[in-house]
Amino acid sequence: MSSSLSHPPAHLPPAVALQLSQQAPVTLRSTPSVISSYSFTTLWSAAETPELWTEYENLMLSCLRTGDEQSAGVCLERLTERFGAENERLMALRGLFQEAIAKDDATLKQVLEEYETILTKDPSNMPVSKRRIALLKTLGKTTEAITALNEFVDSSPTDAEAWAELADLYVTQGMYPQAIFALEEVLLITPYAWNIHARLGEVLFMAGSSGDTSTDKYLAEALRRFCRSIELCDDYLRGYYGLKLTTNKLLTSLPQASRQSKSDSGLPIPDIKTVERLNETATAKLSEIVRRSVSGESGWEGYENAEVIAAKALLDSGAAKSIR
Amino acid sequence: MTWISKSVTGLGLLLLTHACYSAHEHSALHSTSTASLSSMASHTAVASTVASLPIDISIETVVAVFVICLGLVLGTPELRPIQWRVWAGKIEREGEKGFTNSDGNVDKDYVGNPFRMLESRPGFIDIRKQRKEFAEWVREGGGTAGASKS
Repeated sequence: MSSSLSHPPAHLPPAVALQLSQQAPVTLRSTPSVISSYSFTTLWSAAETPELWTEYENLMLSCLRTGDEQSAGVCLERLTERFGAENERLMALRGLFQEAIAKDDATLKQVLEEYETILTKDPSNMPVSKRRIALLKTLGKTTEAITALNEFVDSSPTDAEAWAELADLYVTQGMYPQAIFALEEVLLITPYAWNIHARLGEVLFMAGSSGDTSTDKYLAEALRRFCRSIELCDDYLRGYYGLKLTTNKLLTSLPQASRQSKSDSGLPIPDIKTVERLNETATAKLSEIVRRSVSGESGWEGYENAEVIAAKALLDSGAAKSIR
Repeated sequence: MTWISKSVTGLGLLLLTHACYSAHEHSALHSTSTASLSSMASHTAVASTVASLPIDISIETVVAVFVICLGLVLGTPELRPIQWRVWAGKIEREGEKGFTNSDGNVDKDYVGNPFRMLESRPGFIDIRKQRKEFAEWVREGGGTAGASKS
């Protein structure tokens, strides 16, 4: 199987997902369906690897995404044969399969009821309760999903994935302070996650741009978060992009408000010279990344095209402003 | 780089083989000559010379070992970054291409950004939304491009 099958397929571009699912029948034929531990066949067949079952799961998700329900069904069948229908993870996968093939909302509600019966029998079934929350979100009941997710993180406060999901739900509702809190919880669990630092910076930036109160405080905090993400990851395009946006905004707002908030608790707002220097650094670094990535230098091909284009647009708008 | 290391290692192995062969030949010749000598000469003078090898064979052995070590060291793959930011930067900047070995395959333990799952969140995926997005992508003509490519 190809290497991309060993990672969860949610972030794969559609073309790759399509390719994977087009090859699914071939892949399914070439891989062993049942691995029995006590028989003669084990002597000459390949040994069972943990990756095999991860690949089945990821193949199933890719097939569901592209609408190849038959192959997805085969994957699910083989996984069930191996691990039994009572496996928690498989219960969630089966529910996911039913969600995907459901025709209308009534069928989805049935699936939701099934989840609830499973959860009343065994409230500690984490994968199924996560599915239930996801299904609530699919059905558009965001507030219920948030309540359920809050209960979930109460019972399992070290689940970074759940905290991140909660933060995203809060952002969709425009509840930025709560989202910031949830993201800070994620950072307590995974303090070196540079993308979460950048994400927190983005949420802080959004909070600073939307609210009228304590805008500068949010922006200063966002500035620090973006700086931290760059500190954790050299040449991080997303971090530099955020840094540039934040410093641009701070430079326009700082001159008027530089005196007022000195008495505030917490960290002081950085002075205007630091912000200016950070802005220059971000501009220089962004233009270097864009230049090298567009010309396709070796060792600079990992950036996503859309991100590079966005960075270029930001740089161009900044340049146009400075000329004027 | 690799052919240099391979040829240096090969040269070292050749030298080592030669040294071993010389040592073997030397001891074999010596024992036959001492067998014939021992009948006429006294034992005490011969016993000391049997144990010692000629100095050039010893030197050759030592040099061969060093040359083999040098070849192996030259042939080691590029070292992985051990600083967090350098490693993370490499992932972001180079993507999968930075982690391919000489055969063009991506390393088995390469996972990309390990914290990306905090943003894609496989436990909470919204499969219906993904299906809808995929269908839209196909309708926009992405499907024909993808199909012709594969």
